[in-house]
Amino acid sequence: MRRNFLVAVFPDEERLMQAVYLVREEKFRIYDVYAPYPVHGMDEAMGIRRSRLPWVALVFGGLGLLFGLFLQFYTVVLDWPMNVGGKPDNSTLAFVPISFELAVLIGGLATVAALFVRARLYPGKRECLSEPGVTNDSFALVLRQRDASFDLSRARLLLEESGADRIEEKAAAL
Amino acid sequence: MNQNERAGAVDLSCRNAKQQLVRIGEPRYWKSVEELWNGPTESGEFPGGLSPDSRLQRTEDSRRDFLSLMGFTVGALGLAGCRAPVQNAVPMLAGSDQIVPGVSNWYATTCGGCPSACSLVVKQRDGRPIKIEGNDKSTLFGGGTCATGQATVLSLYDGERLRGPVWKGQPAKWQAVDEKVMESLRAAADWKRRIVLLSGTINSPSTLEIVNEWSRRFPTFRHVVYDAISLSALRAANAAGFGQGVTPHYSFDQARVIVGLEADFLGTWLSPVEFARQYAASRRQEGNFSLHVQFEAGFSVTGSNADVRVPVAPSEMGLVAVAILRRIALKAGAAAVPDGPEPRVDAKKLDATAAALWSHRGECLVVSGSQDQSVQVMVNALNSLLGNIGKTVDIARPSFQRTGDDVAMAELVEQMNRGEIHTLILHGVNPVYDYSEPQRFLRGLEKVALSVAFSDRYDETSEHVHAICPDHHFLEKWGDAEPVATYFSLAQPLTAPLFDTRSAQESLLKWAGHESDHYTYLREFWRRNALSRGIADQGFDAFWDSFLRDGVRVIPREPSAPAGTFRGGWEAAVRRILDEHERSQASGPENYELVFYESVAMRDGRHANNPWLQELPDPITKVTWGNYAAVAPQLARTARLSEGDVVLLKCDRGEMELPIFIQPGQQGKTISVALGYGRKRAGKVGLDSGVNVFSLTSVPSPFRRFAASRVALEKTGRQERLATTQSHFYMEGRPIVLETVLSNLRNAPASFESKAPLPTLWPEARNGEHSWGLSIDMSACTGCSACVIACQSENNVPVVGKDQVQRIRIMHWIRIDRYYSGPEDNPATVHQPMMCQHCGHAPCETVCPVHATTTSSEGINQQVYNRCIGTRYCANNCPYKVRRFNWYNYTESRRFEFNSNRALARMVLNPDVVVRSRGVMEKCNLCVQRIQTAKNLALQGMRKVIDGEIKTACQQACPTEAIVFGDLQDPGSRVSRLQRSQRNYRVLEELGTRPNVAYLKKVRNTMGA
Amino acid sequence: MSATTIPEISTSGEEPQVLRPPRWVEGNPSLQQITDEIARPLEMRPGKAWWICFGIAFAALLNLVGMVTYLIANGIGVWGLNSSVGWAFDITNFVFWVGIGHAGTLISAILLLFRQRWRTSINRSAEAMTIFAVACAGLFPAIHMGRPWDAFFILPYPNQRGPLWPNFRSPLVWDVFAINTYFTISLVFWYLGMIPDLATLRDRVTNRSRRFVFRLLSLGWNGSHRTWARYESVSLILAGLATPLVISVHTIVSMDFATSVIPGWHATIFPPYFVAGAIYSGFGMVLTLLIITRQTMHMERYITMAHLDKMAKVTMFTGMIVSYAYATEFFSAWYRGEFYERYHFINRVTGPYAWCFYLMVLCNVVTPQLLWFKKIRLNVAALFVVSILVNIGMWFERFVIIVVSLHRSFLPSSWGMFYPTAIDVGILVGVFGLFFACFLLFIRFLPMISIWEIKGVVRSDSTSQAAGRGGIAHA
Repeated sequence: MRRNFLVAVFPDEERLMQAVYLVREEKFRIYDVYAPYPVHGMDEAMGIRRSRLPWVALVFGGLGLLFGLFLQFYTVVLDWPMNVGGKPDNSTLAFVPISFELAVLIGGLATVAALFVRARLYPGKRECLSEPGVTNDSFALVLRQRDASFDLSRARLLLEESGADRIEEKAAAL
Repeated sequence: MNQNERAGAVDLSCRNAKQQLVRIGEPRYWKSVEELWNGPTESGEFPGGLSPDSRLQRTEDSRRDFLSLMGFTVGALGLAGCRAPVQNAVPMLAGSDQIVPGVSNWYATTCGGCPSACSLVVKQRDGRPIKIEGNDKSTLFGGGTCATGQATVLSLYDGERLRGPVWKGQPAKWQAVDEKVMESLRAAADWKRRIVLLSGTINSPSTLEIVNEWSRRFPTFRHVVYDAISLSALRAANAAGFGQGVTPHYSFDQARVIVGLEADFLGTWLSPVEFARQYAASRRQEGNFSLHVQFEAGFSVTGSNADVRVPVAPSEMGLVAVAILRRIALKAGAAAVPDGPEPRVDAKKLDATAAALWSHRGECLVVSGSQDQSVQVMVNALNSLLGNIGKTVDIARPSFQRTGDDVAMAELVEQMNRGEIHTLILHGVNPVYDYSEPQRFLRGLEKVALSVAFSDRYDETSEHVHAICPDHHFLEKWGDAEPVATYFSLAQPLTAPLFDTRSAQESLLKWAGHESDHYTYLREFWRRNALSRGIADQGFDAFWDSFLRDGVRVIPREPSAPAGTFRGGWEAAVRRILDEHERSQASGPENYELVFYESVAMRDGRHANNPWLQELPDPITKVTWGNYAAVAPQLARTARLSEGDVVLLKCDRGEMELPIFIQPGQQGKTISVALGYGRKRAGKVGLDSGVNVFSLTSVPSPFRRFAASRVALEKTGRQERLATTQSHFYMEGRPIVLETVLSNLRNAPASFESKAPLPTLWPEARNGEHSWGLSIDMSACTGCSACVIACQSENNVPVVGKDQVQRIRIMHWIRIDRYYSGPEDNPATVHQPMMCQHCGHAPCETVCPVHATTTSSEGINQQVYNRCIGTRYCANNCPYKVRRFNWYNYTESRRFEFNSNRALARMVLNPDVVVRSRGVMEKCNLCVQRIQTAKNLALQGMRKVIDGEIKTACQQACPTEAIVFGDLQDPGSRVSRLQRSQRNYRVLEELGTRPNVAYLKKVRNTMGA
Repeated sequence: MSATTIPEISTSGEEPQVLRPPRWVEGNPSLQQITDEIARPLEMRPGKAWWICFGIAFAALLNLVGMVTYLIANGIGVWGLNSSVGWAFDITNFVFWVGIGHAGTLISAILLLFRQRWRTSINRSAEAMTIFAVACAGLFPAIHMGRPWDAFFILPYPNQRGPLWPNFRSPLVWDVFAINTYFTISLVFWYLGMIPDLATLRDRVTNRSRRFVFRLLSLGWNGSHRTWARYESVSLILAGLATPLVISVHTIVSMDFATSVIPGWHATIFPPYFVAGAIYSGFGMVLTLLIITRQTMHMERYITMAHLDKMAKVTMFTGMIVSYAYATEFFSAWYRGEFYERYHFINRVTGPYAWCFYLMVLCNVVTPQLLWFKKIRLNVAALFVVSILVNIGMWFERFVIIVVSLHRSFLPSSWGMFYPTAIDVGILVGVFGLFFACFLLFIRFLPMISIWEIKGVVRSDSTSQAAGRGGIAHA
């Protein structure tokens, strides 16, 4: 189904920031903000909750560690013990480096994977740009007209006040 | 016909084997061999081309497949293929207990490597000899061997051997050659022209009998014995002194004081294996530890073992002998020795030596290898004054190990040049290479109507003779030997003759018109012999078979003459020595003296084409592949020479260019050069390795001297890198070889529990029912290097060549580290056999990423070749640096034309040991294949492995029993007891490696010195 | 470019950090300008300088291919190694290149955690350097084996050989895991950082095929701030993981030697010593590369003297840590009183390879001291020379540690010398070819400076938000 959006384009981050504060005071829900680089304080301004991705890193890192320890213990102690330099079969200290490396490897890869999943980034995805310049030098604030209760004229007014270069309504199939 | 005769003659137990060994001589078989060596003409079912008419071969395929499955190499398989009809003589259906594929047989025989004629037991596998070992039934030689003896098995598979008889440079048929020779012999007999058999030392009674038959048959026949390095002077002195021109049989084991004058009796002189064995026996810690004083110019193996070594220039050796005699004579109250100059050596040492000798009258021994008859007279005088005759010096039962006669040889060369020799038969000699006047001999040879050589190859001499009738390799022929009077040793073939060769004896018999072949003749000879001496009481066959089985027999007989008493008359000799010394004094200061010696590896050069020997590091200098001029460090400094500088040595006999080797302990004014190198026609391997210096040795006058005086030395400015395996001589004060002094040892408690190993944080490893270990007695080790070749032969260790040795890539699994201590002009020496120490806590194992090396349940540090990926981390982390890496494909690459890349030479490989591929690490594994064999036998016998049952190759070869292998878990085993001895210690123990290999401290006898 | 534009930041005490944060970009370019200037080299044809450099590098690369082929065809024997010295150029190069890599991760990860904003203009190329260096390093463990075709034995894959597993007690196996992890994580980190820039390029290139590639790689990035937020936290997580990783990697490499028994290897100081050395050599290489790119690609605006100055200081600092480690080695050898150890260090300074040791000291102990002088830190040519010396010195450090320790170990009987062969030298040179070829292609086809991070810096500079807020846009 087609949805209607209100896209306001700004030349710099200050005015964008201003607009974000204004529209949120008026209880407008911000659909998203687009910028060529991460803008300071935008998280607070938009009221984005802290990402939970660190937990992914923690959990998978832990799994990696355990896997490393298990792999070495199983192969060297359980499956096929051998007398290597008279050392005890379970030379745990010698297993530390590899366990650590596996923790980092698996933890890191899992986190990045999680990001791609969460942010729906995948090869060959067609980008949908609110405004052609957002990856270069312009900034965009996008409101979504969810239903009739959305006061279009009020929104336009606020955005104009905060100094948008251009305001246009767009419809996109999402 | 005689085949059945023979088959009937042998006892049941080994009939089939004998049949096999005998049947091999069938002509049909030879054809296929020739085809084989011209490349297999047929393929498929009968590789090597079996003559299709033989019905027997139909049954052949299954076994041939079986053999091929047993890891035969292509060439070996080809040969197995064409030996097929022979093996048919032992059909598997008959269940032969002799030829079981994959199971080794051991046959007693006699070594043909040199005239010492040691008794051997040879390992035969699937019809081919692959390993030579000493025959421990021999009371003379024991189980030991020398490096040369160990290596002879490789010479059997030498691709340079002639494939058949040669007439004037063209391959011929035996019949044709025989006719030519016999024709010439008839002619010579008719016209009363001289026939001469020029041979090396022959101590085979049956062969000597054949020679006698010749002299009976041909009145003009004469037998001349020529040894490149003979004992003529000694024999002449004995002829003068005792009325018997013989080489006495020495007993070093009876001697408590041993004085050697330029006699390398532990390395090369007369009978090194026997002497080394006696020597070690006389120097056991318990019992009478003998004192050994050695006077010599160059550094010999013997000198390196002496308690007191005195460097003496050859020109002064006579003076030394005189000086000692003078002192002894004084003590003995015998006629005073005329005054004369004292040698330039420490008089105190001479006094001490004389005192020691005198205090052990009758149980001491003076030997000299000098070719100066006067010196030998001195030695005889000393031995008789000291009452050693009949005790340590046995003239009644002499040695026949070197009977060469310089005088006769010189005379022969004269006659040849005068054209008086009609037919000359050369047997086991190569005068064009090793006579002092090769050109003169050659000119003489050209004047001979017919010259025949029994050489097994084209060599410097045989390439000039009319007919070459190649003799068998000694592993292919029957024979007997009497190295020392009353000590007999039999020789039997270990394999079918590989080529169309014929034993020299058979040729001689044929030409003398005998119908019977050599085997029959030999047997008949012994039948007569045995019956005449009444030793075959329970029938000759029984005697013969037991004799064959044991290989050795001591058959007492009346001494030909009573033990001669010394006739004195040495005053003249003393005067001669003094006069000669006067003359030699003329030489100015800038003149040096040359000393020529037999090197342990090359000896007289007959084995020059044997890569194992070429690559055997000299026990002292550790140089391989070639000879060099050894000079003292002092001389090198004054002449501003550094190692590898090529110098031009000029003496009145000629000149030669040699690289310099700086040898601590070398007498200051002398330069030592090894004989036996620089062969011009021996084969790819031996060609141009080193320089031939035989031509510089003096002309017999009357005896050939191996020294030259008034030698000038010039730098050429060229450099030649020596291929040495050990560049650093000194131990840097590290506790690697520990020594002790006899007196300390005597005072110390007889034996005590050796120190407990260092504490460890780790649990003790689970051990199986054994934990194998070695004990190595550095007091017994003479450095003779027999173990090195034995290991190489047992474990298929590749030869890598001069270039690779220079790059420190020699592959030997056991090396003998040699360290000096003390002053550089006369240092003390130690030999330390070093192989994998089989550490309980092995540093190499921990670092291997793929578990390619681990400790076995029996304490062996094992290397898994097919798992190894070649990171070399283990070698880096090995404190003993005993691991060897296959830098190239040594065994197959064409770059390494030494042994195992040729199909023929691959036949010597031990099928029980993997041939390592390129890029893998290898090292000593305590001959694990031998351990397995013994364990299997024990299993079949439902018994435990007996201590001493298993011998590693190095241990077996060692004539002095310096290496002892055994189970460390059995407290009663010999190795355990040795490792509890007070001399026991482990190398680099402080690293916590816990080696299973332990060493016994070197003991030095300082009394008298 | 004159010294007057250098911001007043000095580590010396008398002059406290000024409130105004240093400006890490020259002038005050607009966002459009930044995009244009950094994307320029990708869009225009490469200059003569680039072609010459690439030509040389590629020639060396071809030489490497030839040499390695010859090596594998014939065997390790073509090197100068022997029974005494089982490792020489091969492992020296390995350790050298692994070390080089470390600076990249340090700049991209550790400095990120420390909110060091000057890293922004150099981290992209530094990370690229890391990846190429580790790739070069990875070549050696593979080709130094006697049987490289069996290299997979090292991996713990299920098999029917017993089953046989690798020996997890062996530092070589630790190496395998460490190097692979390090390479993978660095690669991911590098790529992740590039995604927004790839999107930027996607939206500006005209060429259809290039756009297709950039679209494929940029994963449909559209600058959504919700994504930015997650993106930044992931960058931080990766940085947090990469920091201990980079330290572990060279620690493990040092354990190849530290866990052995050989005098000169068997030392507990090795891990910190090696890590410091790695960072030192890495910064040396970063300096070399950045000076080259800065001059050839005219990036003076973004790679300012201030950057070079900072890196020079880090180099000097780590250099002094390394010098300290050298001293400590000698001290502990003397203090420990263990015979073989002592002999080793005597041999190190008096033995046949002493010249290597003195060269090393000259390059790694003396040279860094020059960087005390601002004149030298601000002189591009001088810095370039210093950086080259640092590289040479660090190569020789590894050579000394490996070869000098091996050539005279416990038993004098097995002492020997190592002489390199033509193949040894050829491979040494060839690997530099591989490295520079990769790097030159990188600066040709990918944004060598992180566009989006620069934009962030420029913004925070221009709006001159105080140093306290520091860090690129909360990164």
